[in-house]
Amino acid sequence: MITTITQEQNNMTKPRKPADQSQQEIDHTAKMQAINVNVWFGKKQVLKSVNLTIKPNTVTAIIGPSGCGKSTFLRCFNRMHELAPNAKMTGKILLDNEDIYNSHIDPVQIRRRVGMVFQKPNPFPTMSIYDNVAAGLKLTGAKKGKQLDDIVKRSLEQATLWNEVKDDLTKPGTSISGGQQQRLCIARAIAMQPEVILMDEPCSALDPIATAKIEKLVVELKEDYAVVIVTHNMQQASRVSDYTAFMYMGELIEFGETSQIFENPKETLTDNYITGVFG
Amino acid sequence: MNRLIDVVLEDQSVLLIKMGELTYQTLYISIKAYLEGSTVQGQVREMSDQLMLMADKVEARSFELITRFQPVASDLRTIKSYMKIGYDFARYGRYALDISYINDQITGLKDCCSIEIKKAVEKMSEKVLQMVKISVDALRKHDVKLARTITETEREVDEMYLNHLKNLLEEKNTTSSCIVSSALMSRYLERIADHAVYVCESILYIVTGEKTRLR
Repeated sequence: MITTITQEQNNMTKPRKPADQSQQEIDHTAKMQAINVNVWFGKKQVLKSVNLTIKPNTVTAIIGPSGCGKSTFLRCFNRMHELAPNAKMTGKILLDNEDIYNSHIDPVQIRRRVGMVFQKPNPFPTMSIYDNVAAGLKLTGAKKGKQLDDIVKRSLEQATLWNEVKDDLTKPGTSISGGQQQRLCIARAIAMQPEVILMDEPCSALDPIATAKIEKLVVELKEDYAVVIVTHNMQQASRVSDYTAFMYMGELIEFGETSQIFENPKETLTDNYITGVFG
Repeated sequence: MNRLIDVVLEDQSVLLIKMGELTYQTLYISIKAYLEGSTVQGQVREMSDQLMLMADKVEARSFELITRFQPVASDLRTIKSYMKIGYDFARYGRYALDISYINDQITGLKDCCSIEIKKAVEKMSEKVLQMVKISVDALRKHDVKLARTITETEREVDEMYLNHLKNLLEEKNTTSSCIVSSALMSRYLERIADHAVYVCESILYIVTGEKTRLR
């Protein structure tokens, strides 16, 4: 009898190395870079010496079982984890080679440059479709009138939603379908003209057709932005991303080109997770 | 945890091992008949056709596995490699059939009067059957160590093949049908040896994830 993973195979796999604790060098070609990131919630350490490079105009997927720290890690990229009580972080997150945690940096500015899309579509319930997209710009008072109209239109177009809502811009943002609401949230993020878009399981609440539209959009978005997506869906990660990071129990176990991770992962733990041996 | 995909993968490996055993038998019967001068074309054709059907089944099941389970990593490598091995085994069967044709349509080794030719073909046949056995046994247990041993034998077969062709060019004590027959036979044997190497390379790829050339 042959088993898929034989004793020989197990013997040949290398023991897993702990995450590299050494000081990582700055990658000047990176859009963002996490250097030796540790995060605690209270006394519980949820991220352990994580290093990762996000290249411009690429999609990076972060995968791993529930509770492995992938969403926490994602939130470190725009300082959103700071909003959680008792959160503490060490290490650096660089955006264009500058640490976003430097004391003189305004977190609000960072969140403008690094936008975020959440698991469940969360349009502002009392606002129209138009206002949902314009909200951030109105709040900062940056744009008005025709200029604002143009940005709203362009953002909705880029989120592939314009043709579906152009005649209903005054209707509530919550009046459209779940998939459309999620694209509305992406349009809202795009309207702020970010440089990086973070997506935390953006399709987990959507049906397959809405999911396919978001996936296509993710690939299109990398033309203009660096995209980082957390997903539980292995096939989605393999379809949309250029690079994949596998996390387990707060550590980054393996990072590489998506084709390599899904065809020939170097770590047994990665193989076991993505083939569904555990997870 | 036994996964759903494991059940189908297990069926696939059982089918491939059956194929491997059948390929060895088919080649053994065909080569033996060539060396001894007996006619087995009908039997070998049936076996070869059966191998083709089995290879089709391996391919169909591979597509089913890909469609239903969207395999990745070691699962994907296994499926991809099993499909290639299925093809290699089917090729063994076709070469066995080709060998049976030489015997029936040109001449078998029995009618060749040159002892050197006979000895060379017999020795090469023995080595190639040994390689086929290695490939099937290595598949049975995904035995990387055994798979790697094929390189040396393949080298020997290649050398025997080239020497045999050189000797045939200089051979004066035999008939042209004998020369053509043994040249074709040695060519088929050399090709079978190549497929045995491909099977072993696929086994290495399944287990290690590395594309290794054993030639």
